[in-house]
Amino acid sequence: MKYDKFFELAKAAGIEDCELSISTSYSLSISLFHGEIDSYSTSKSMAFLARGIYKGKMGSVVSDVYNKDSAEFFVKQIVNNAKVIENDDPVFIFKGSEKYRKINTFNKELSKISVEDKLNKLYELEKKVKEGDSRIIEIESTGYEESESTLTVLNSHGLKLNQKNNNFVYYGGAVAKEGEQVKTGFDLFFDNDFSHFNADELAKSIVKETVGQLGGYQCESSTYKAVLSPDVVKSFMNAYVSSAVAEDVQKNSSLFVGKLNQKVASRKVTIDDKPHAKTLFAKSFDDEGVATKNLSIIKNGVLEHYLYNLTTAAKEGVESTGHGAVGGGSKVGTTTWFLEMKPGKKSQEQLFEEIGNGVYITSVQGLHAGLNSRSGNFSLQSTGFMVENGKVTHPLDIITVSGNLVDLFTNITEVGSDSKDFISGMRCPSVIVKKINVSGK
Amino acid sequence: MISKKLAIEVLNEMLATGGDYAEIFYEDSRASGVSIENGKVSSSSSSVTSGVGLRILKENRSVYGYTNDLTKKGLLELARSLNKSFNSKRILTVTKLEMIRGKNRNPIVHSYENIPIEEKIELVREGIKEIESMKDPRIVRYIGSFGNNHRGVTIFNSKGKWFSRETEFARIAYSIIAADENGMETAFEGPGCQMDMSFFKDKAKPRKVARKAAETALLMLTAKECPSGKMPVVIGNGWGGVLFHEACGHPLEASAVSRGLSYATGKEGQLIASPLVTAIDDSTIPNEWGSIDIDDEGNPGTKRVLIKDGVLKDFMIDDFNGRRMGREGNGSCRRQNYRYCPTSRMSNTYIDNGKSTPEEIIKATKLGLYAVGFAGGSVDPTTGEFNFGCSEAYIIRDGKICEPVKGATLIGKGEEILKKIDMVGNDLAFGQGMCGAASGSIRTNVGQPTLRISEITVGGRGGELK
Repeated sequence: MKYDKFFELAKAAGIEDCELSISTSYSLSISLFHGEIDSYSTSKSMAFLARGIYKGKMGSVVSDVYNKDSAEFFVKQIVNNAKVIENDDPVFIFKGSEKYRKINTFNKELSKISVEDKLNKLYELEKKVKEGDSRIIEIESTGYEESESTLTVLNSHGLKLNQKNNNFVYYGGAVAKEGEQVKTGFDLFFDNDFSHFNADELAKSIVKETVGQLGGYQCESSTYKAVLSPDVVKSFMNAYVSSAVAEDVQKNSSLFVGKLNQKVASRKVTIDDKPHAKTLFAKSFDDEGVATKNLSIIKNGVLEHYLYNLTTAAKEGVESTGHGAVGGGSKVGTTTWFLEMKPGKKSQEQLFEEIGNGVYITSVQGLHAGLNSRSGNFSLQSTGFMVENGKVTHPLDIITVSGNLVDLFTNITEVGSDSKDFISGMRCPSVIVKKINVSGK
Repeated sequence: MISKKLAIEVLNEMLATGGDYAEIFYEDSRASGVSIENGKVSSSSSSVTSGVGLRILKENRSVYGYTNDLTKKGLLELARSLNKSFNSKRILTVTKLEMIRGKNRNPIVHSYENIPIEEKIELVREGIKEIESMKDPRIVRYIGSFGNNHRGVTIFNSKGKWFSRETEFARIAYSIIAADENGMETAFEGPGCQMDMSFFKDKAKPRKVARKAAETALLMLTAKECPSGKMPVVIGNGWGGVLFHEACGHPLEASAVSRGLSYATGKEGQLIASPLVTAIDDSTIPNEWGSIDIDDEGNPGTKRVLIKDGVLKDFMIDDFNGRRMGREGNGSCRRQNYRYCPTSRMSNTYIDNGKSTPEEIIKATKLGLYAVGFAGGSVDPTTGEFNFGCSEAYIIRDGKICEPVKGATLIGKGEEILKKIDMVGNDLAFGQGMCGAASGSIRTNVGQPTLRISEITVGGRGGELK
């Protein structure tokens, strides 16, 4: 077999166990500007990640190519990188789980649809956004992207795992102007079943996102009751759940140190990681080859599980939860697959009624700079609306919201029924928070 | 490696259906990195980035594709799949390729690839020892790392030109997590360069870098929450330039300007900033983090005065987006690697020195914020709405720097904020960062002297500034 040479050379070099992950991917993306194709790009590429244990330490190498010299090069890099490792973390090349869940994340129909049909929908989308409102002065971008990828993991224990995915995305961004005020809005649709796409619906949403922000002004800087949109909840949930990564807990650098089986959020909050849910993000095995499972992370406000890979699990004598993430470097990281916040029963309108007066925060920006998941502190540029007498009234022009994740999750008093899926592998509804700081005027 | 003969064949295949420009971007890059966590080497990595990106332009259309299949068959197949986007007659044939001999301001003198990994580990360990010597139990996690990258690029294009260039850059970084009974804070310092190890021995000494990161994290543990609302803000030199990078740099990239998607479109010659502001993007500074000799479509790097005394003068332009503007590229076309279609980007972008001293600026401020450490930011070039987060800040009272505050984010609209710069210092410095945009993550320098914004919205949790 093509990769036998790598395993043979590795063995001869004294590498105890080793593994090769091979990803192949295909992508197509088309974007329009003023009714014409502005950019078209396509690719076929591969990526290889080789890991191996040498004298008890893990070494690894990442490469885009596997040619006649690669097997030797990979082995040399693994040995050289492993040689300098000093820490005593237990390392593993996994023998395999007993059972792997069958997952279907590939829709063979997608590639049968012609590029012309895909393009026609794109033209339709651009036209509908443009005609959606007289205040739309420009279409920032309208695009279609599709990708197909296959991941194969082979290791010296004879483990052989494979998963194939595909998906497509339609997106659009528009610019609206009223008086001197200019606002931009964006939305997207993703799936792997082409028949689910409705250009009209996406266009309407893009138009609403854009013109809806016009006519706003800054509110007074103060503390407000707030409804957070699913988009905002998603960003905060992702950051908060990262505190459950066992490595950070073990190294005393997480908000969840010593919090297992304790309250970390309001009883309204339940968050699961669901790799087995029927979504595009379904996973049967993690990057270390461990079978994934659905896991309750926070249940009714109580922290139920930390997230483990093989190394962090071995340190505590527990089993990996199937959250291993292998990237470049010797260290294995930790990731989640499909985070879901359990929805409540009330519609978003009912949430507005419930707060009466406050703010509705619809997006937060600059997370990499304004949100620190270690301290939990955040201060973020945001968009939103005033809520007065239980109804959304006028938009808010350029504000920030600030707070701390622990307070925010403790202050959630209601969870909506309006769950939305996000391309980052999350599903969540709107929530009410008792108070949030807003800086405006 | 791709031979000139094969390059000509692929270029002509790309041009077969009427393309007016074709380009082959071949990359063979290698990177390696090592990190030390809590005193022990915890990770060592190496990676190879190797492939080809093909680009065809026809009028205002761009077609791009990439592959790792570097065989003649693989390249011609990709060329054919891309040229299907057009269906007119050939207007251009490439018959010969002539080498561009550009300046080499960032030569590889002593390659990082010849330095044993142990030496790099020792370098990082110097800073680690410095942190350990502080013996502060509040430092719960400290990670030092060193990474170097060898970028090898060869470009062939239908203008009959080709060039090949090898560059190397390296970065040392320390990140600290400090905790006490009140919470946890983090700090990061990561200077980098496009020169050899001497940079880390003379300019960015590991001990100094590591100590700065540790001290910032510890200081922020004791800091109060930053007040919120509108207030005067003095922005420290160096990394403070991230303000200009977000508020004005991105909106001056041709990718936004050429499509009318920037607030700066059509404003050349107009006053868009305070007359105290002169802003420059200069990729010709030797050995700087964001410098390039030749951009990713073969145009030489240049120094561009973007704003002169408040008046908009120029943009960052690549050839493709330049078409909509009636302009040629000015050496601003960049990409992370062959997987990205290139576009107009910044290099070393800074606000130039003014006349005030930093002391004068602080002294002239009665009540406000002094922001000196920054975590990055983002911008919407169309509306100019930007944000950036401060990792280290202090309150200014009666012209003096007083208590530290944490959790400050500054927000505003580029156009408005540039006009509110009312004092500019004379202590220009740079900060090294990675800028993420359409063509991937690239090395850019931000820079500025200390300056003051008369009023900007500050988001924090500390209530009203008193």
